Amino acid sequence: MNEKNNYKAWIYLAPSLILLVVFALYPLIDTFYISFLKDYNYLTGDSSGFTLENYEALFGIIPAPDTIAQLQGPINAFFEYALPNTLLITFVTVPISIALALIIAVLINSIKVCQRFFQTLFFTPYVTNIIAVGMVFGVIFSHTGLFNAIFNLDKYWVENNPETTYWNAMFVIFCDIIWYQLPFKILIFVAGLQGIGKTYYDAARIDSASKIKQFFKITVPLLSPQIFYISITSFINGFKEYQSIAGLFNRPGTSGNSYNLYTVVYFIYDQINAGSGHNVRYACCGAVVLFLIILVFTLIQFYISKKRVHYGA
Amino acid sequence: MELNKSLVNQDTIYNNESEIEFIIEGFNKNVDKIKKKDKVLRVFFLIIIYVFLIFFAFIMMIPFYWMFITSLKSEVANGIYIGLDNNFFIAFDNIARNNYALIFDPARFDFFTYLWNTIIVVVISTIGTFFVTIFASFAFARLNFKGKDLTFYIYLITMMIPSELFVVTNYIQVYRYGLLTSTWGTYLAIMLPFIVNVFYIYLLNEAFKQIPNELYLASKIDGKSDWKFLWKVMVPIASPTLITVIILKVISTWNAYAWPKVLAPQGSANQTANLISVAIRDFANFTYVEGTRIFVLQSLQMAATVIVTIPLIIIFIVFRKYIMNGTSRAGIKG
Amino acid sequence: MKIQISNLGKTFEGNLKKNIPDTVAVSEFSINIEDGELVGLLGPSGCGKSTILYMISGLKEPTTGSVYFGDEDVTDLAPEKRGIGFVFQNYALYPHLNIYKNIAFPLEDTWIKTFKQEKKIIKFCTLFSLKDRFNEVIDLINNEKRINKKISKALVIDKISFLLNIPYSYAKFLYKYFLKKDFNLEIFVLFLKENIDKEKEKIKQKGFELDDEYYLLKDGNRVPYKRKINKDEIDLKVKEVAKIVKLEDYLYRKPSEISGGQQQRVAIARALIKSPKVLLLDEPLSNLDARLRLETREEIRRIQQETKITTIFVTHDQDEAMAICDKIVVLKKGKVEQIGAPQEVYDDPKNLFTAKFLGLPPIGVFYGKLKDGYLYLNNNKVLKVDSIEDKDVFIAIRPEGYKKANKDDEFSFSLYITKVISQGRDSEVLALNPNGNDSFKIMIRNEEKYSVGENYFKVKPNKLYVFDKVTQERIYLNEREK
Repeated sequence: MNEKNNYKAWIYLAPSLILLVVFALYPLIDTFYISFLKDYNYLTGDSSGFTLENYEALFGIIPAPDTIAQLQGPINAFFEYALPNTLLITFVTVPISIALALIIAVLINSIKVCQRFFQTLFFTPYVTNIIAVGMVFGVIFSHTGLFNAIFNLDKYWVENNPETTYWNAMFVIFCDIIWYQLPFKILIFVAGLQGIGKTYYDAARIDSASKIKQFFKITVPLLSPQIFYISITSFINGFKEYQSIAGLFNRPGTSGNSYNLYTVVYFIYDQINAGSGHNVRYACCGAVVLFLIILVFTLIQFYISKKRVHYGA
Repeated sequence: MELNKSLVNQDTIYNNESEIEFIIEGFNKNVDKIKKKDKVLRVFFLIIIYVFLIFFAFIMMIPFYWMFITSLKSEVANGIYIGLDNNFFIAFDNIARNNYALIFDPARFDFFTYLWNTIIVVVISTIGTFFVTIFASFAFARLNFKGKDLTFYIYLITMMIPSELFVVTNYIQVYRYGLLTSTWGTYLAIMLPFIVNVFYIYLLNEAFKQIPNELYLASKIDGKSDWKFLWKVMVPIASPTLITVIILKVISTWNAYAWPKVLAPQGSANQTANLISVAIRDFANFTYVEGTRIFVLQSLQMAATVIVTIPLIIIFIVFRKYIMNGTSRAGIKG
Repeated sequence: MKIQISNLGKTFEGNLKKNIPDTVAVSEFSINIEDGELVGLLGPSGCGKSTILYMISGLKEPTTGSVYFGDEDVTDLAPEKRGIGFVFQNYALYPHLNIYKNIAFPLEDTWIKTFKQEKKIIKFCTLFSLKDRFNEVIDLINNEKRINKKISKALVIDKISFLLNIPYSYAKFLYKYFLKKDFNLEIFVLFLKENIDKEKEKIKQKGFELDDEYYLLKDGNRVPYKRKINKDEIDLKVKEVAKIVKLEDYLYRKPSEISGGQQQRVAIARALIKSPKVLLLDEPLSNLDARLRLETREEIRRIQQETKITTIFVTHDQDEAMAICDKIVVLKKGKVEQIGAPQEVYDDPKNLFTAKFLGLPPIGVFYGKLKDGYLYLNNNKVLKVDSIEDKDVFIAIRPEGYKKANKDDEFSFSLYITKVISQGRDSEVLALNPNGNDSFKIMIRNEEKYSVGENYFKVKPNKLYVFDKVTQERIYLNEREK
């Protein structure tokens, strides 16, 4: 290692490093910093010292210290709706989509005829635009739409209408998210399954292990690195859910001025430039909360994986 | 102490000679019958599997089909809003031919502007990402320098942190830098925070590391510079990974929604500098006015989504192999 | 179990579009295997020997022919229904399960045919019958504690269970009582006896009687009963086979934490645990290093002789097959060349391929001629033969088939020796092939002295074989040879 090489390496690194420092590392610190500032406004850059009141307002402990009453709604909605919705969406869609993807992947792997065809077919939705997909689901689930027609229902799922209930809306959100999350998982699982040696199944057959036993005792444990990877990434993506709701509803609530479809990330993006520059501090707090949630869940999963994941199949 | 010895047989039942008799279904039975039963069962399960797969494939495909078929339907007949039917097929004569013309009508929706914006942003940011990723991966994979490991860890850590944690202050930054006042400034603001993607650097770094060191040493002996080696040897060898990176970048930029939406929201001065995904959702005027009532024309919405989706489908069909390989490799590495 | 295979064949369909013709992997394979025999399928790679094994197991379907186990035609029977054990070339041990669970895997959830029993009384009676050996257990516990204070409870219990040949749960029961502060052996034995009486009373109340092997009797008969195998039985069985393959101390490790030879034995144990009627081994030794291969093949032989299971194993190593098999099958391109006991095939090869394939150092092959009742090697008369028609032949001579001769002796011939390698008891001599420029090996005893250069030899007639030059089939020179 010589001096010349040293400086050359840094030149190669410079573009990415500068961009990372300016647009990731510095803002990272700034976000934490702003979340503790009292009465911060990005338009003016004014603030008056440090405080915890931004977080307190966010968690409904004190009313948001804002002069404009109409901005109270979305802030209160963070603790009332955004957090519970985020957790609900994650804990419903992640297990269902993982289980479905696993089943479909195993079935795809078990057939010979048309295997590539099905593999490609199930992967196609991976590249679609989530907003566009949301709009399509909006049409399918509209009051006069396909879903109601097929099941002979007379329900409001997505319209800005008092009859659109919270759970109706959530049902559509679940469907949408599971639909576009499946392809990636199926692909990863199929790739993982094809990496499991065929002799394990030959051996299991000789041992007359049933298909069910093979699935739980061989397939799942040997696929555990993929299952672990998928569950980490899908929990993170679940906590960051926003675009599907924007695509489906383009508004944060089922009707009127409601914010009952808020998620944490929806809240963050919505508050960045709301309230004439005042609300950005709540967006910062939301981002910090999101970070902590993701951190905690990732650590929990790593802890569990230590016991359950088998590498080196 | 006297114990009743006759009570117990000294040969315990558990010894090496005691064989457990396993029930092996089928052995010592009529083999023909079992063979037939097995065959019937196998065919039966195969049918169930295919039915299940076809059913789910149908569910996966139906949104695409519905998007397309709806974009061809007409909702207005003789000046009266009649809404959509739920027919699965449409007669050729009934196809609403002007749906696609309508969404390109500037009075309704400035489709060309948004498409143009998107293409510019996709091209420039992909080129940017291409070079930045190659340079960084090259430094990490091939060059030795002080603090290399630490720097790489810092890169990896930023990959783990949710981007929401810095976009909030990114917004304040680009606002302060005055980027949001002009069209090209907005383009820049949309691109800059996402030029560096550590995941791509990680992928390419892995591909670069596969290239044997001997090649590098051989080129040194031949008197080739690092720069030449990078472009003449490493980039061509790692081209499958690079193509994957480029495609993933193009797709993610094409689909960008949340960040561009914040930068140029509806009603702001720079809203015409926004991207297509935001535009079809937020800026579109796909309505039909009938007297005092306003109807949203879903057929036009769907026509717009078709326009947005078609390039993606084309990319997918052409580069399917790269996308699937790149994605599954990421998963296997975990 | 007797195995009877007739006319077995396998053809892999080709693809005309891609110009891949059909491949005949195996054709007209027939053999009778007696109960308890160890048979080796021997041949160079690609000769179809693994395919034959897979067809016997049912993992591959034959194109033609039939396989009988005993009197049953199992040709189309699914592999899990044949009652076989299979050891795969790469062992196929489940990497996520420890050795114990790997071995136990085939047993879990299996149904067994038995008679009605009462669990509790078996336990007490079994323990009671072992009362004279409780002192050994106490010694064992004290010993283990003394040697290693940190030894885990489970390991000690396992040792007890190995010592007395009882399931883990029984051993745990003993361990718990033996460690009690006020433990007294006599009281414990009394306690067992009381329990036995109590249980017996219960059984009587239910209207059953008990026979010597603790089966319940109803009206003097055992009551047939189908049930899933229980944990105690699995434990005993696992430990039984673990003992056979000598893996008692490795039960709780993962496959990646033991050596190749041990993995191999785990694979055998797993194949044995269901008491298969037929054991199939696919190149069981090919993944081991040379020394381990020698040890393990003896081990396989020992296990096979202990269990007396009809065993078929596949190998490309003639040395291996010769060493342990009752019968070997020499295969070439999917066809049987010769079947027989190893020594028999070695002494009496039916064709040139078999002669060349068996034996180390390999047999030397030369051009020769039959003429006027003599066998000629390079214009030297080497043997008088009964009158056979004159023709060109191959002469094959085993390395040990030479003896020293003088130039003037009848039937002597000269060979050019390039090297003499002393190997202690024997010597190996490298001689130039009179037909070509390669060399071949001759084994000689040390008292016969040779030096580099021209030397004279005679052949031992029983170590010399003559083969037809065209068909490469054996030509018998004298009536008595046949």
